[in-house]
Amino acid sequence: MLWFGSLLALLLVVVLIIGAMFGAERISLTELSVQQQAILFDIRLPRVFLAAFVGASLAAAGAGLQALLRNPLAEPYLLGVSNGAALGMMLAFVLFENVEFLRPVMAFIGAVVATIVVYQMAKSRTGMTVERLVLSGVIVTTFLSSVIVLFTSLLDAAKLRSFTFWLLGDLSQTTRSGVYLCLVAAVVGIIVLGSQARALNLMMIGERDALDFGVEVGRVRLLVFGASALLVGASVAASGSVGYVGLVVPHIVRLASGSDNRSVIPFSALAGASFVILADLIARVAIAPRELPVGAITALIGAPVFIFLLRRN
Amino acid sequence: MMECRALFFVRKIIRQLNRFALVTFLSLIFVACGRPVAENVNLNVDRSSSRSGVVPMRIITDDLGRRVTIPTKITRAISLAPSVTESIFAVGAGDRLVGDTTYCNYPEEAKAIQKVGDTLNPNMETIVALRPDVVFVSGASQLETFTSTLDKNGIAVYVMNPSRLDEVIHNLEQLGIIFGSEDTSQKVVGELQDREMKITETLGTYPVPDEQLSDYDKRVGQVRVFVQISKEPLFTIGKGAFLNDLLRSAGARSVTANVSSAFPKLSKETALALQPDAIILSDSPDDQEPNEVFKDSPAVKNGRVYKINADIISRPGPRLIDALEEIAKDLHPEKFK
Repeated sequence: MLWFGSLLALLLVVVLIIGAMFGAERISLTELSVQQQAILFDIRLPRVFLAAFVGASLAAAGAGLQALLRNPLAEPYLLGVSNGAALGMMLAFVLFENVEFLRPVMAFIGAVVATIVVYQMAKSRTGMTVERLVLSGVIVTTFLSSVIVLFTSLLDAAKLRSFTFWLLGDLSQTTRSGVYLCLVAAVVGIIVLGSQARALNLMMIGERDALDFGVEVGRVRLLVFGASALLVGASVAASGSVGYVGLVVPHIVRLASGSDNRSVIPFSALAGASFVILADLIARVAIAPRELPVGAITALIGAPVFIFLLRRN
Repeated sequence: MMECRALFFVRKIIRQLNRFALVTFLSLIFVACGRPVAENVNLNVDRSSSRSGVVPMRIITDDLGRRVTIPTKITRAISLAPSVTESIFAVGAGDRLVGDTTYCNYPEEAKAIQKVGDTLNPNMETIVALRPDVVFVSGASQLETFTSTLDKNGIAVYVMNPSRLDEVIHNLEQLGIIFGSEDTSQKVVGELQDREMKITETLGTYPVPDEQLSDYDKRVGQVRVFVQISKEPLFTIGKGAFLNDLLRSAGARSVTANVSSAFPKLSKETALALQPDAIILSDSPDDQEPNEVFKDSPAVKNGRVYKINADIISRPGPRLIDALEEIAKDLHPEKFK
């Protein structure tokens, strides 16, 4: 598996360089004018790094949730986590218009609340089944979507213009604090998920068997859900809804490396980072000097790839 | 085809009895027949001229070249765009507006008129119930499908599609004719033309020596302006925006005039490289200061950042002259002492 990991790491380095080299404005990498320095260091590089952190976070969260729920369709978007974060962001927009630091905080709170609600709904006297969990996720997701739609139709157009764009997945609104926040969230979240990889492997056989092996199933669930909420909350706050990353990337990784979560989770993070950097590169240069929403690109690539994978298996 | 004709006849009679619910129902069947819109209009003319006791009608041509049949005397009109509402009030026909949109906030009286929804989502039932003689639609903001829906409901739709100052003035003249208030419209048009002329004369050919102008501007005598529509995400005006012509009249040039689409979302890299001499903000809640990328631009360094009311610069109506005067004075203060 080492070769595959090295390959993904190498790919990420190459993609990072390509992402830094190309953009709406041409930059010579040997001799930079003051203006080109500003373009490269103030605008392009922060955005490329943010894309990497968002991609890594979403893909790792997807991999973790898929293992935990033993469902290949499990994804932050399907489980209400993303929409919870989106609603949190929206409330921050509406209630505390000018307090920018509250947006990621509210997004995280939204992600956590949505996770808890889904979790509680899925619980029953006989314990929690995966089916109930996915079903609750779908219901919470659709409910939150309608609340968001309701808000957007009721509120002032000018106030919500930036929000609607952000909702489509948009990395152009990169701020330095957003990049650092996503970095911290990605590092913490991925380490927590990685630390639970062994337990997740055992749980994939069956939760009873895992209990027999001494796995504290409840604790694993809590940690994986918490880490996913952190990863998704930070990503959504920084970039809106960049879809399909958490779904497609872990699937491709599993095809190449098998389903051992000790490799699937870190490899998904590496591959997810490359995927979103490339998708955002397309969004930046395709119709330059105009821009496309990156969420549209990831969906445009992700959906056909996913269908292809489904048909192959 | 015969069924369609018969249905149309029935529909016409019922309309005159003001049975709106039935009209809507029957027109649905009518729509299903798929009759082309143009034929609908022609038939309308035939019938009104051949029958006695019907309101006298006339045919006018709108900005899209469509032939529209409207009553000779307009008493009930609906406007579906704030720019149109402002124009109708300007020609002194505001009292005949029976419906407008939630965006119509100028002049003050426009707010009191019954709202039929917003520009993108007008309520069909409300419009039909108001029994308008004609509905005015702006090509700049209205959905084409909506125009055809109204057409199919037998409501006359007049499309106004101005993008330059002279076209706004032409629209005012048209409205004067439509509402039979040529006296007022001619007076208003005369005033607007005088004000425009005054700006042009005052600016003349712009003199060269001004430290704040770049080499290019010293050659052409224009200020390079960036118009920021919203700060985050960064939206600006592009090739299709009517503001381009207004800026030219004000002795300026939009630095994004070559970017495709009217209101593009611009790459921040490009924005940083543009280095505009002045920035105009639309003064909406999300557009109170220039984007970060302009912090080292001549515009910000020299304090040449101006706010113009978003309503005025986003509506191709009579207040465009106000915007022209304001922009010209902001950009060339020494000329207007």
